[in-house]
Amino acid sequence: MVPTEHHGDQWEPYVDNGGSTLAIAGEDFVVIGSDTRSSDGYNINTRYDPKAFKFTNNTVLATTGYRADCKSMAKSVQAQITKYAHDHGKEMSVEAMAQMLSIMMYQKRFFSYYVFPIVAGIDKEGKGAVYSYDPVGNMERVGFRAFGSSSALLQPFIDDQLGFKNRADIKPEERELHLPDLQQAKNIITDVFNGAAERDIYTGDGLQLFTITKEGGIELEELPLKRD
Amino acid sequence: MNDFKQQFLGDTLTKTLFSETEASATTNGLGSTGSGFETTAHKFALAPLQKPVEFAKTHIDNTSETQARIQAAHGTTTLAFKFQHGVIVCTDSRATMGNVIASQTVKKVIEINEFLLGTMAGGAADCSFWERELGRQCKLYALRNKKRITVAGASKILRNMVLNYKGMGLSMGTMICGWDEDTTDPALFYVDSDGQRLENHLFSVGSGSTFAYSVLDAGYHYNMEVEEAKELARRAIYHATYRDAFSGGYVRMYHIKQDGWVAFDLQDVGELDIHYYPERKGVPDNQVQEEIIRPAGVSV
Amino acid sequence: MSITQYNGSAIVAMTGKNCVVIGCDKRLGQQALTVDMNFEKVFRVKDKLYVGLPGLATDVQTLHDRIRYRVNMYDLEEERAIQPDNLAHMISNMLYQKRFGPYFCEPIIAGLTEKDEPYIMGMDLIGCLSSAPDFIVGGTASDNLYGMCEALWEPDLGPDDLFRSASQALLNAVDRDAMSGWGAVVHVITPEKTETYHLQGRQD
Repeated sequence: MVPTEHHGDQWEPYVDNGGSTLAIAGEDFVVIGSDTRSSDGYNINTRYDPKAFKFTNNTVLATTGYRADCKSMAKSVQAQITKYAHDHGKEMSVEAMAQMLSIMMYQKRFFSYYVFPIVAGIDKEGKGAVYSYDPVGNMERVGFRAFGSSSALLQPFIDDQLGFKNRADIKPEERELHLPDLQQAKNIITDVFNGAAERDIYTGDGLQLFTITKEGGIELEELPLKRD
Repeated sequence: MNDFKQQFLGDTLTKTLFSETEASATTNGLGSTGSGFETTAHKFALAPLQKPVEFAKTHIDNTSETQARIQAAHGTTTLAFKFQHGVIVCTDSRATMGNVIASQTVKKVIEINEFLLGTMAGGAADCSFWERELGRQCKLYALRNKKRITVAGASKILRNMVLNYKGMGLSMGTMICGWDEDTTDPALFYVDSDGQRLENHLFSVGSGSTFAYSVLDAGYHYNMEVEEAKELARRAIYHATYRDAFSGGYVRMYHIKQDGWVAFDLQDVGELDIHYYPERKGVPDNQVQEEIIRPAGVSV
Repeated sequence: MSITQYNGSAIVAMTGKNCVVIGCDKRLGQQALTVDMNFEKVFRVKDKLYVGLPGLATDVQTLHDRIRYRVNMYDLEEERAIQPDNLAHMISNMLYQKRFGPYFCEPIIAGLTEKDEPYIMGMDLIGCLSSAPDFIVGGTASDNLYGMCEALWEPDLGPDDLFRSASQALLNAVDRDAMSGWGAVVHVITPEKTETYHLQGRQD
């Protein structure tokens, strides 16, 4: 969590509502997990405030940070996606949505959204795609990414298990052979969220697990997490 | 641009800021000769305050130097130099937010078009947004004038664009590199968000730049062969990542030739270290050299 | 920036079956500038007793000297080997004596007791002890280490598996922290012997 900083009497429109997201791109799938707790300091505002939403039949946007900004931004994105579908007679691709979100976030460069978004979907080649952003819209396509209050706990672990960093037993050129299948990716997400809920007070209550495949579209599973 | 300025009319601070850059703001910097450049009005949202700029500067941090609420990802060691066979452009790939390494795989070379490259140091979003916009402007120029824009021209467009936002907290230190049509020499310009634009044969930008400069200055001469130049750039980036905590990841390298740029494979700095110093560095010779091991992983 | 983050550090201690490990990174920096790549922060107190000192390097050195002095005095006065819990309370007491001008260091103790049972203990910079059955972490990469240890630690690991878990935890944690890294040292403490391993890590 970012420590609260005082700027004298200045207006403070940002709150960190905590929570975590984690996305893993596979050869022909993407899984994206997010918890459902929303907090303000030591208080829990609600135990069920989903962070991830389906945007097209092919894309999910998951956002941590300040909930009000997350929702406002998601609403603008949804409006643009609907407009695009009407104008062009087709659904927006995940690549186009990713670039659009980057530009939309940069339009608020001087009054930024306090958000950490992840866009997940299946790209034009049928491969899993994960795009991650900083709060002012710098975008990067990655293989896996953890964001939110537990990101420091989750990211090193998936670097080890999915990126095979510091693994003398797996050569860099053999890494592709060890990439997870859909079930393994789901297991990793459920395991690490249980671990994160153990240590991070801002992550817990429920886990939403979105699975995106080319054939199956988007599926959502909801699993319990620690509620204390 | 005028639309954008309208948003500031209540703000005395920015009024003075903008009056000084009036000329460049209305013509987008290419003079009033009717070169066909339209003004690009980016409507940026602003905080509903008397001093929205102050808000942006205190709440959004590009440098890891303050504890502002929003820590934007930022980039670190970049270098470029001219030599007899063109320009070598070389960067690291780390982005940090505070002390956290946000990414080890950032692409800090921005491919503006087939002949122009820009580098990224400072705020990652600032660089990628404005250099993407620069790419659009360069494409428009080529369509209107039936020839490519010069590197000097492109870098000046970028400078004039960011100059409109001077003092508002943009953070960008970039090198615009390329090779002009019908010339025998490559071109290299440094442009930053203060509005500074310099031409030289060698630049390095970012928190690791001092380390890169010392390696470059020790080994640089104009008449290098391509392999020597590549090795110099690689070593300079490697040593910057070694000493600078905010640099690291992979070495990314481009070579700009007369007929456009070529990109080379990424090199992992972790592996490069073993390649350069297989005997393990950091331990003085007079100490007992313990065996160094690389542990196997844990499967869960 | 907090003064405890000025030099950068990462330390982890883990318990296993009749064994403990304690490890640290090797970086010493002045904020972004890396000054020393061979600065160890875990020190031997006795054959089966080690102390890790994450925090401000000047206080790490001073504390190490003072701990050594106090332990030597203990040996002379008591004529018996100091036990891990004695050491923990000794350091805790030393830290609280500086309650209003503390050392910026949060020591971690790891060792085997007289009965060869694993013992780990952490404390804050004014000596508040905190024990844990599994692992204790400290330094600028502590959040990262919590995540790694939470995932990799299991009860009753043998020395080899425990070493592997601790070294993976350490290396991957420091790779996401700008202020620590540049290789690592891990001490594996078993009833028979203590082995020290220097780990190859990224040098960036």
